[in-house]
Parts: sequence; structure tokens; C-alpha cells
Amino acid sequence: MSKPIFKEVDDLPTGGLTVTALKSLDFLIPGQWQNLTGFDNTIRAVTGETDEALIQQIGERAVALYNDKSQGYQRALWLYETVESGSGLLGAAALANRIGQDSFLGFLKNITPKPEKAQSIDLCVKLVTELVAFCQINGIPGDSIGDFLAALGDYSGESLMRMAALVSFDGVIPLGPEFANKALSIFDSTSPQELEGNQTYKSVQELIPGGGSSEKKGFITKSFDSTKNWMQSFVSAKNVTREGLLSRLKGFIDFTDDKADYVGALLDMNVKYYRHTGLQTLARRLVERAVAEI
Amino acid sequence: MTTRWHRIFTSLLLSLLLFVTACAPQTSRYDQVQKETTQRGAAPAVAKQAEQGATFNKIFPKSVKGYKGYEVVPTQEKKGFAEYKVKGKDGKTVAMLSISDTTSVPAAAAKYQNATETIAGYPTVEQGTTTTGLLVNGYQVKVLSRDASFTRADRVAWLQKFDLRELAQLKPAIAPTATAKPAIPSYYNTKTPSQQPQKTPVLTPQPAG
Repeated sequence: MSKPIFKEVDDLPTGGLTVTALKSLDFLIPGQWQNLTGFDNTIRAVTGETDEALIQQIGERAVALYNDKSQGYQRALWLYETVESGSGLLGAAALANRIGQDSFLGFLKNITPKPEKAQSIDLCVKLVTELVAFCQINGIPGDSIGDFLAALGDYSGESLMRMAALVSFDGVIPLGPEFANKALSIFDSTSPQELEGNQTYKSVQELIPGGGSSEKKGFITKSFDSTKNWMQSFVSAKNVTREGLLSRLKGFIDFTDDKADYVGALLDMNVKYYRHTGLQTLARRLVERAVAEI
Repeated sequence: MTTRWHRIFTSLLLSLLLFVTACAPQTSRYDQVQKETTQRGAAPAVAKQAEQGATFNKIFPKSVKGYKGYEVVPTQEKKGFAEYKVKGKDGKTVAMLSISDTTSVPAAAAKYQNATETIAGYPTVEQGTTTTGLLVNGYQVKVLSRDASFTRADRVAWLQKFDLRELAQLKPAIAPTATAKPAIPSYYNTKTPSQQPQKTPVLTPQPAG
């Protein structure tokens, strides 16, 4: 049996590498993301209610909704977790022990930066995963494509932070400020067979729309292409640069400039921002629905 | 000798204590509902017969007179449920609008049996301090404040702008009536909402739309 949703939300970390890395991105979306943890806390923050009996009622409906597999919430969490686990080779605990120690740079020698191709596939697959998870959680809101796009474009809070982190940690740091065009052209030149060999794609491919890898590739390309402009204007409006991001990361990860290439790989292995913010988004939407249905 | 036995006894007791505390399951106020909704044969949270969320889209107000510059954005559409967000002039979310089929949550409909007021002719209740709801044809319509500036008067104004007449004409949700006792899962609090509005607002029933 899977872990209860209230336990998952209660166990969200309040510190550590993931939270610190996300906090370093606050300058991109000032004040938009608070690290909201705890199931009852989430209910209070979302609804503004303080009556304990009412909180209990909302919580119980949220738990029931989550446990009904047909409602897609468990699948969404699985997606957020799985798309990130493909690359996690070393436990965060092992790494945390080394940060700030002399052996840290020695440890860096053992990890290799991901080739651009793998990085591009990861970025595209992660973006599509967001789209699929969005539909699992929210359905397809509204009566038209325009309605749906309006719902999709209305990202705020933890969802917006997830996108900011995607653009920064999986886009700009490993691929540079032109990451969107670069990733798209590299992804486009990837054969369906190569795609099948990618760990991240393999882990979530069953939930990507399309009959086979070729069709799924088409869906990914189309989705990425349609969000490319948003990502590009985010980068230029906020003036996101590799140097700017790295200098903020230096505040908590000790590395020299010649080792900057490794930072992407390091973040990739140890920062679970998709799962962290994905679970926060899921909890918020569950609570919104629960309070409306009771 | 005594000291030695004493020591052994103490260490035994200590290990037993550690063992017991390590094994004791952590309890949560949601353990009961977790058990009830995951056990074999548990009733689904959303009833099979519940109306499709898409049916509700046309019922929502897209704008309300007197709220210029406010934006209504769709946010969720699931079986038996649809929800829209109301954004104020500065883009901040001020309220949520929702319609749900009470077939899946009979207790939600049951609470309207104790309603003492009506809005547009339909029974209405307050839940907590941020929610005003009404029941039409077994469908629950709610306006939920998400900002202190959006008061109960605002909620009432928006509730009246849903197409309630259209909602009343949908295939009725399988909601409990005053005579039929619904099967309410034990974990639902079926008490009358504790916070009734302090003063009785004067509401003139208006036809919807």
C-alpha cells in the first residue's frame, strides 16, 4: 500500500539541498513560493479556515479523493517522482556529508556532466511530464482550447517555482541561455530508438500520449515547441544567466568556476524539486477540491 | 551482586522501552479515513453516476456586474466537480467558484436540510468563515473567499450569478431528500455548521442569469 497522502505532505522537508536550491531562485519570482509543508498547514493556508472540526472534514475528503485511484492524483505524484529518479545515482545524504569538506572536490571527479543530448531529452520529457501531471490533477478545465491554455498559463506559487527551476536547473545551467532552441533541435534529431534508450523517457513513457515512441516523440516536440516562447521570455525578462544562477548557488554549494560544469550534474542527482513542488501543487489542488465538495 | 542484577535489569528495561517506542505506530487524525478508503471493496470517493464536470462549465458566471476588471479562469474539471478562480484587478486570486455533484458526498447535501435561509430561492449555508454554499437539484454551488477583501456579501452576489435555473434543469443528482436518510460514512461530520452568520442578511430572491 502506498504511503498516505497526509504522511507524504507532513514529511516534506523544511530544509536540505532541494529546499535551499529552490530558495536560491526566489529572485526570479519574488515571494511567489513559500515552502508550505504539513497536511493540516496546507489546509489552513489554502482555505484560511482555523476551525479544527472543519479542517478535519476537509482533510478526510482530501484523503478519500487521493485514495480513489480513478481520480489520477496518485498517478500525478508517481509522475513527479519517477521523472526525477532516473538520474539519482547517489543519495543526498552521502553528498550532504561531503559538502564543505575537502573531499568534496575529489568527489566531484567521480561524476561526469551529462552529454547535451541526454540533457536535452531530460528537459523535453520533464516538460511533457508537467503537462500530463497537470491533466491528471486538474482534468482539462473549461470548454475550449483557449480555456485550457488559460488554466495552464495561470501558474503561480509552487507550480511557477517548478517551472522556474526547470528553466534554471535543467535549461540554463546545463545548456546556456539559448537552451530552449538548442534542446528542441537536439530532441528533434533524436531517433525514436535513441529516445527509448533514455532513462528519463523510459521511466514515464507509458503515460505520454501516443501509440509508439515515434508518436510520443511527436507529442513531446509539439508540447515543447508551444511552451518555448514562454520559457524564452521568462529567461529574457528576468535576465537569467548561467553566471547569475551559479553565483547564487555558490552561497550553499562550494565549488570553483572550473568545476561549474559539474554543478548541473550535481543538482540533477540531488535536487528533487519536481517531486517536492509537485507534491505541494497536488496537495493544494486536493484541498481546493475537498473544501468545495464537503 | 544486587548492583549487578540491578544493572542488567535497567539495561533490559531500557532496551524494551526503545523497542516499544520504535514499534509504536504513529497515529494521525486521518488514520481512520485512510483505513476506510483503502480497504478492499472501499467505496470510491467519486460515484460512478456522478455528472461529468464539463456539464457544469456553462453554469458558471464569466463576469459579474459591479466587479469590473475581475477575471474568471477555469482551474479544475473532474468527474462530479468543476472549479473556477476569480482574480481581482491586480491579478490576485480573491475567490474560488465551484459546482459539485453531491451523489458522491451525501453529507454535503444533508447539511442543507438544516438551512434557515435561501439565496435565489435555494437553501444556503455558511461553512467556516470563508464559504457560502447553496444546493440546487442535488448539486452544490459554492463561492469560497481567498482574500479578506472578498466578503460574504460578495459571495452572495456571485452565487446569484450562476445559471441556477439551468442547473435545476439538469438530470437531478442522486441527493438525499428530507425523508430519505442518506448513508453517511462514519468519518463525515454531519453536525450543523458551527458558524452560522451572525446577522440575518436581507436577501431578495432573484432569478438567476
